[in-house]
Amino acid sequence: MATEVWLFILVGAIAVVAAVMLLLSQNAVHAALFLIINMGCIAFLFLLLNAAFLAMVQLAVYAGAIMVLFLFVIMLLGAERPGGRSPYGWLAPGAVVLALIFLVTVALALSQGGISDLQAPPAHPQLRVANLAADAGPVALRLNGSSVGDNLPRGGVQDYEALPPGEYELEVRAADDRTLLSGSLALEAGKRYTALVHGTGAPELSLVEDLAEAGSLRVFNGWGEAVWLVDFASELSDEDTVVLLSDIAPGALSDPLAVAEDADFSNRALVNGLDEVLARMGAGMNFDTIEDGSALLVLAPTRRFEGTLEATVDLLVTPSQASFGSPADIGLKLFNRYMLPMQIVALLLLVAMVGAIVLTHRPKVAPELERARLGRRRVSRPLTSAIASQLGQGGGSQDPDAAALPPAGSQER
Amino acid sequence: MLQTEAYVMLSMVLFVLGAMGVMLRRNAILVFMSVELMLNAANLALVAFARQWGNSDGHLFVFFVITVAAAEVAVGLALIVAIFRTRRNINIDELNQLQG
Repeated sequence: MATEVWLFILVGAIAVVAAVMLLLSQNAVHAALFLIINMGCIAFLFLLLNAAFLAMVQLAVYAGAIMVLFLFVIMLLGAERPGGRSPYGWLAPGAVVLALIFLVTVALALSQGGISDLQAPPAHPQLRVANLAADAGPVALRLNGSSVGDNLPRGGVQDYEALPPGEYELEVRAADDRTLLSGSLALEAGKRYTALVHGTGAPELSLVEDLAEAGSLRVFNGWGEAVWLVDFASELSDEDTVVLLSDIAPGALSDPLAVAEDADFSNRALVNGLDEVLARMGAGMNFDTIEDGSALLVLAPTRRFEGTLEATVDLLVTPSQASFGSPADIGLKLFNRYMLPMQIVALLLLVAMVGAIVLTHRPKVAPELERARLGRRRVSRPLTSAIASQLGQGGGSQDPDAAALPPAGSQER
Repeated sequence: MLQTEAYVMLSMVLFVLGAMGVMLRRNAILVFMSVELMLNAANLALVAFARQWGNSDGHLFVFFVITVAAAEVAVGLALIVAIFRTRRNINIDELNQLQG
C-alpha cells in the first residue's frame, strides 16, 4: 500500500510540474514535449487504477498519435516563436483568481463529500438452465410466467442471464405444452447459478451455485445411488486406483476438486459402491476445457434407444468473469452494450477526417485565370480600357480574359 | 488502496492548470493543447470513479472521450492551418472579426 502512495505522489507531482511548465513555456515545441510527459504520467496513474487497457490506449493514441499531429502542425506553421504582448494582459490576474476559487470550491466539496464511503451496489445474480432430463425431450422454460427459453434439447445449456435478485418461479414445459415441473429459485446478488433439470419420468429441479475460481471441478450426482470419482492410473491393477471424491449421495453436490494442469481425464470414471463403472469422463475433456473456468460434472441418466437407462456425464463450464479493466472486459462491453455509441463515434471520426481534408484543401484556380490575374498586376493598363471593362463594353485592344475577372480587391489576401 | 479523493484532487489540479492555459495563452495551438490537458484530467477522474464503483463502464467512457478528442484534434488543427494560411498568424487575440 505504501508503494502505491509513494508512486502516486511521485508521478502526480511530475504530472503537475509538467502541466505548469506547459502553462509557462514560451516555445510551443517545449510545451508539446511537456504535454507528452504529462500524458505519460496519466497513463501510469491509469495503471495504478487497474485500467491497463486504457493506459496503453492513452500512450498509443494520446502521447503517440495526437501529439505527433500537434508537433507536425507546430513545425509546419513555424508557430513555435513566442508572440508579442497581449492587449488583454490585464485579464491574467482575474483568470488566476477565478481558477484558484474553483480549485478551493472543488477541494471543499471533495473533503466533505465522503466519496470513499460510497459502496457500489452488488452485481445482479446470473442464471442458466441445463436440460439433462432423460425423458422430457426439448423443453420450453418460463420464469415468472414469461418465456426465457424455447426448444432446449437434452444436454442443452443456456447462456448466463443477469436477473434482479429475488425469488423466481421456474416452469419447465414439454414440447406439447404440458408442464413438466415448476419450482422456486432464490437468487442472491453477486452469484451465478445453474438450474439443473434432471431425472427420469417427471424431472427434478436442482439449483447449483457456481464457483468463481478457475480450475476446480465438482460433481453433481443425478443418478440413483451414491457414486465415487476415481482415477484408474492403469487398467491392469486395482492397487494404484486413486479415489478423488468419495461417496457422493444421490442428488448431492461434491466438494470442489482442484484440477492439476497435467491432469489426465481419460482414466477417470464415476463408479458406484459395487465398483461398477457408471460412466467414464469423455476423451474430449481435459484441463484446457476448464482452464479459465470452474467445471460442474453432472452424472444423469439418459434413455437409450432400446429404452434402457444409461448414466452419462455432462461437463458444464462456468467461464470466469473477465477481470476489471482488462481488454477482455472492455471488449465485451464495447461489442455488447456500447455497440451503437461505438458506431456513432466511428462515424464521427470519419466525418472529422473528411472535415479536416475539406478545411485544409486549397481550391485550385484555373491556370489561365491565375496567369491573367498575375499579368494584370504586373502590367498597368490604360485607364480608359479599365473603365471600359468595368462598364462591360469591351474595348478593341483589351484582353478578353481580363474582362471576365472580378474586381481585384476580392482576390487580395 | 489509495483513496479516490486523491486521484480526483490531482485531476482537478490538472484541470485547473489546463483551464488557466486556455485563458492565459495566446497561441491557438497552445490553447488547444491546454484543452487536451483538461480532457486528460477529466479522464483521470472517470477512471478513479470507475475503480471506486468496481464498474468498468467508466473505462468505456474514457475510451470514447479519447476517440472524440482525436476527431476534435484533426478538425481543430485543420482550422488552425486554414487560419494561418489566410492571416499568417494564429494569435487568438487578433482573430476577432466576428465580434461585429
